[in-house]
Amino acid sequence: MINLLIVTVVMGTPLLYGSISEVFAERSGVMVTAIEGIFLMGAWAGFVGAYLTKSLLVGVACAIGAGVLTAALYGWITVYLKQHQVVTGTAINILAVGMCSFLQRVIFGVPVSPLTVTPLPMLPIPLLSKIPVLGPVFFNQNILTYLMYLIVPASYFLLYKTSIGLIIRSAGENPEAVDVAGINVDRVRFILVLVAGVMGGIAGAFYSIGYLGMFTTNMIGGRGWIAFAICFLGNWNPKGALAGTVVFGFTEALAISMQSSGGGFFPNELFIALPYILTIVLTITRKSFNVPAQLGVPYKKEN
Amino acid sequence: MDTPFFELRNITKYFSKVVANKDVSFSVGKGEVLALLGENGAGKSTIMKILYGLYKADSGQIFKDGEEQKINSPKDAMALGISMIQQHFSLVPAHTVTENIILGNVKGKIDRKACEKEIGELAKNYGFDVAPDAFVRDLSVGVQQKVEILKALYLKTRLLIMDEPTAVLTPQESENLMQFVRNFTAEGNSVIFITHKLKEVMEVADRIIVMRGGEVCGDLKCSQTDEKELSRLMIGKDLVPADRGSEEQSKNGEVRLEFQNISIVEHDQVPKLKDITFDIHQGEIFGIAGVSGNGQEELCEVVCGALHPTSGKLLLDGEDITDLNIRQRIDKGIGYVPSDRYRDGMVMDMTLAENMMLKTSFGKKWLKRGFIDKAKLNGCTEKAIQDYAVKAPGPDAMARGLSGGNQQKVVLAREVENGTKLIIFDQPTRGLDLGAVDHIHKVILGERAKGKSILLISTELSEIFALSDRIAVLYKGVVQGVFDRSEIDTEKIGLLMAGYAVDKGCSNEC
Repeated sequence: MINLLIVTVVMGTPLLYGSISEVFAERSGVMVTAIEGIFLMGAWAGFVGAYLTKSLLVGVACAIGAGVLTAALYGWITVYLKQHQVVTGTAINILAVGMCSFLQRVIFGVPVSPLTVTPLPMLPIPLLSKIPVLGPVFFNQNILTYLMYLIVPASYFLLYKTSIGLIIRSAGENPEAVDVAGINVDRVRFILVLVAGVMGGIAGAFYSIGYLGMFTTNMIGGRGWIAFAICFLGNWNPKGALAGTVVFGFTEALAISMQSSGGGFFPNELFIALPYILTIVLTITRKSFNVPAQLGVPYKKEN
Repeated sequence: MDTPFFELRNITKYFSKVVANKDVSFSVGKGEVLALLGENGAGKSTIMKILYGLYKADSGQIFKDGEEQKINSPKDAMALGISMIQQHFSLVPAHTVTENIILGNVKGKIDRKACEKEIGELAKNYGFDVAPDAFVRDLSVGVQQKVEILKALYLKTRLLIMDEPTAVLTPQESENLMQFVRNFTAEGNSVIFITHKLKEVMEVADRIIVMRGGEVCGDLKCSQTDEKELSRLMIGKDLVPADRGSEEQSKNGEVRLEFQNISIVEHDQVPKLKDITFDIHQGEIFGIAGVSGNGQEELCEVVCGALHPTSGKLLLDGEDITDLNIRQRIDKGIGYVPSDRYRDGMVMDMTLAENMMLKTSFGKKWLKRGFIDKAKLNGCTEKAIQDYAVKAPGPDAMARGLSGGNQQKVVLAREVENGTKLIIFDQPTRGLDLGAVDHIHKVILGERAKGKSILLISTELSEIFALSDRIAVLYKGVVQGVFDRSEIDTEKIGLLMAGYAVDKGCSNEC
């Protein structure tokens, strides 16, 4: 059981990076539909950086760089060129898959045995990690997870208690009000897309070098979309994103443990599909949505 | 002469190739109320948006106290003490009054309590009854405007620009606003307000700038001019008021539409319409006055069939039509000109011809061998363009490309054609210029002369009085009495619109 909870936290970490960055961008009015591609580019670049330099730090930096570049492309097209967000995101996600497979082959050819790096080490926190149950679950994780612990409350504070948060929330509700207050709406939105690039890149790297220590082109496998869905299901609120992540992290953990132990009566595939089924079920059953009024609508000044 | 507070010199602005402002120069002095008068499209809002930094002028200069200023964004304008209230308020409905006011004007961590206190005091100083922690979505438009004004006051504005500020207010609210303007300017501040209403210009302005076709065509002291001269300057010609024709006709007509105790109550909520009972005769214009959002839209939708009442009956020529759907009612000859043509009236990305057949697209009359009879459709549209003097290149023009007044004329043409028995006009002239208003009024009176029944809903009392045979006031979904036009005046209506019973005076709310 404890093991299941440990894996829940592990699997939840990248989802939370993704969904929190999605919360911020969507609150400002932009759906980062390229999140799946950003995750993938982050995973790939993180692995390549870490493998070639033998430094995980460089790997994470590369992941952030790739995430930001992907996000910048997406942001430029959707925020500044005012193109459709779903179409643009879909195109970029397809592009990301092709790019990673292609570049992976260019750089590494066809290796005989799978290429691996040593994943991020667990850093037990003195004293705290000795607490029964809570210790191993929360305080024997890697650095990216610890960073996440700080980001959740910080993002809540930023969004609801500061002037910057007020600007972000207003940009998604009525961008004109922000414009009239003398703030550049497009710049606000673009910056948040870039932030989603940073966090999405880290999330991607978490899968490749934070956890598995290897890269395959299908390793994200829709988890970017799950982060995207968590943002919706969590009602565009960091707290909601946290709650959603716990649920999805747990189902993923369950799937993993069932795969290794055998699900008994149920086939393995059912557990692997569980997060995706859950997404659909929760989306259908969700009653009230607090959608930012101008979500997905590019801000165009009249004339 | 004193140095003016703000001065605009030779401002020219093009939108792509269309000139919006041409060589516009005028100034505003300290403590002065300046009215910017002109029809829609005269360039009033554009010149003010340039002063406020929302648009960038192609050429020209702006001076404050004799010194040239560069205003590139609203931030620059605010730094110079300029605030502007847009015609469509730029408030965030989902946020509180305080959050709206401090947006972009505070830094770092927000001390909610302190901000709310500050804004509460500011509101009190100016006698505004606004709760700082209320959500904007819960406020009436009149109060929302006060929030916009508070936003300006919070920034210690010296020059307040208001774009069509009274368009959404009751007469009493407008009076309060004018009082505020007087007090505000008495402190040495300046106000520019954009309007096309002559009456309020004469009431409150010190000086009037008249604009037409992007140019200034008059700079007059209020004391040295009158409404007639202003209207001539504004339009470029004299307007002959629409003729109401015979007064007798309507009284004798038979009952056409009958409301019998119609109510709309959803669950335990406040009724949207409550026990509405009145009838409309043939050849009668029945005017409904009231501040928007008091059930007018629901009333229209009950008649056109988009909403079904939870109780009560609706009769057309004695036949119960309560349960008929929209299409069946169109077939019965009910036309509906909705208040929001963008949302309910037209598809902006379709051609005029396509818009003309929008509501009768299922009808056989547009078909020829199973396909749309293009020739017939274009012919009809062409005729409408001629009859209604729509300024459009032809039936194939996109609706989006037309001005608001011309779009409205197209909707009007279609609904007059559909509505052989009854036509609902919901705010038919909102936001249109005097020329178009005049035209539409003539059309409405013309249809009345043909014996059609007209349900006219308007927040403009002048329109209600100019056209209606009988008048009802709607307040919170309740009809506050039905009056003959001669029985009632603006003041009484104003009180009814605000929910006061006329005979009891102002002290008791209904």
